[in-house]
Amino acid sequence: MHLIEMKNITKNYYLGETIVHALKGIDLIIKKEEFTAIWGPSGSGKTTLLNLIGTIDEPSSGDLFFNEEKINNIADNDKSEFRNNEIGFIFQTFNLIPVLSALENVMLPLQIKGTPTSKAKKEAFKRLCDVELEQFVNNRPDKMSGGQRQRVAIARALITNPSIVLADEPTANLDFKTSNSIIEIMKKINKRDKTTFVFSTHDQRLLDQMNRLIQLDDGKITE
Amino acid sequence: MNQWIKVAFRNIIKNKRRSFVTLMAIAMGFTAINLFSGYTHNTYEGLRASAIRGSGIGHLTIYKKGWNKFGKSDPDKYMIDKNQIKKIVNIIEENDSVILATPRLDISGIVSNGRNSTIFMAQGVVPSDDKTILGAFFAAQPVTGETLNDKKEYGVQMATDLAEYLALKPKDDAVVMAATLDGQLNALDIQVSGVYNTGIDAINDKFIKVPFKFAQSLYDSDKADRIVILLDNWKNTLIVQHQIMKQLKDAGIECEIKTWEELSVFYSNVKNMFDMIFLFIFTIVLVIVIMSTVNTMGMSVIERTREIGTLRALGLKRRGINFLFAIEGAMIGFLGSVVGAIFHISIWLIIFVASPTYTPPGNSSPVPLHVDLLPGNILFMLLCMIFLALIAAIFPARRAANQNVVDALGHV
Repeated sequence: MHLIEMKNITKNYYLGETIVHALKGIDLIIKKEEFTAIWGPSGSGKTTLLNLIGTIDEPSSGDLFFNEEKINNIADNDKSEFRNNEIGFIFQTFNLIPVLSALENVMLPLQIKGTPTSKAKKEAFKRLCDVELEQFVNNRPDKMSGGQRQRVAIARALITNPSIVLADEPTANLDFKTSNSIIEIMKKINKRDKTTFVFSTHDQRLLDQMNRLIQLDDGKITE
Repeated sequence: MNQWIKVAFRNIIKNKRRSFVTLMAIAMGFTAINLFSGYTHNTYEGLRASAIRGSGIGHLTIYKKGWNKFGKSDPDKYMIDKNQIKKIVNIIEENDSVILATPRLDISGIVSNGRNSTIFMAQGVVPSDDKTILGAFFAAQPVTGETLNDKKEYGVQMATDLAEYLALKPKDDAVVMAATLDGQLNALDIQVSGVYNTGIDAINDKFIKVPFKFAQSLYDSDKADRIVILLDNWKNTLIVQHQIMKQLKDAGIECEIKTWEELSVFYSNVKNMFDMIFLFIFTIVLVIVIMSTVNTMGMSVIERTREIGTLRALGLKRRGINFLFAIEGAMIGFLGSVVGAIFHISIWLIIFVASPTYTPPGNSSPVPLHVDLLPGNILFMLLCMIFLALIAAIFPARRAANQNVVDALGHV
């Protein structure tokens, strides 16, 4: 069964009166448990493609299916619930909430879902242990290194046991050693929990670890 | 819920300087409104007591029907005669809320010390009833010499400036002249029992308080122009007015009953003026609170655009973002009000201890500045400020919630 299926997806942006064709008729299938990277040069449409899969952006045309259910035209509230339940996001710039501790940041998706605080706290602590941050649960993001912040972001992305984790250039802001450890953690979780990972990257170190590579060039898949 | 309150509170703390300015704006507004409402509350109470008791108009005044329209041109016809006075007083005093009902007769004429003469206006009162109506004001109006006395019919209380003009002091004699109700000139001897300050500049040079019977003698009449009623509580005024009106009508007595508020034009004018100033101050504070909160929350939305994008990506719905910023606005309103309440109570304490005085326009002597501490008003204003700040936060919150998630995530 396909987890994600995209049929003839296009995405156009308007820059003043100029139309930018970011994606030009994408057909793509992502299966469960994949550890996949979408790669290509800057401006090739990697992030746009990830945003469409994550339902935080709308395609200009084409259809997007999740578990064979069309999801590109559902209501905004339903999309929010869908993201909360099925998708984990990891951002290049970590995007942690600065006024919350590591533990509180990881708890957020569960609290959005309405999980009781005690249960959310327990789950968040478990996830922070998975990413080896049990010593930093009470630290706020500004008291943590880039690698530690990204590990918090990974824990946050995994806390709801999502079907798919979308990671947009997760190692771009990290040094070599930290990048390796981050990749290792994600790989371990992919194997252990059968979580599907889709990355957008042009980091060769990350590409070498992938099971599948999808190359994007000028808005088209050249896999 | 707790998580969002925590986020809101920590964001307020995080932006210390900006939050401080907004909290101070709310606190100052809160303090200004509560101090002014405490002052006006005290002033209204003082003016009310001063009108009802100090100036002696009581809570209700009964006139014969037509007195207020035609009484000046034909006073005899529209005055209340001796039998009617007795009948009306008996009916009125059956009411449990009535403390007393007493006849009055206002007179005017010329007063002379033998060398100089000047006009006067006088209130003819039953001395013992007048003392009851004055209540605490009796002690607050110091009289040089003696006060009115039921037994001394020709003894009068003269206002200070009039006594000074005529060079009269307690125990001095003078003569008053007036036209009787029949139009004959009448003159009577008086003795200045006491000299006192009426408290009102405008009448201090012409006012005399005389015994009711003396006023009747000067006008050569056994009538009264009104009957003044004192009640146990000013809040019962309208109810008792209605009850008495019905009782008198049933007894076949045609009359008009005016309340103290209708007769005290000064009270109504001052109240209207203060109410207008209050509205003016409240509007300014309202604008300041809303503008400050909108500005603070607007800045917060801009600075936290990426955070909003992240929360939306994590699955927070638009109404969740609205709620998050609304909580922050309400919290700013609450904290500002708490600081304002502390300021208000501190200033109230300083005024209470220092007890400064001032001379209001029209008064002939200084009065103490009193500000009432009104817990009900403080609580109401607290809720009002929270509501205002919450409303003010909704505009930027809606902007935040409606942002495109991708644009918000890409915000630098």
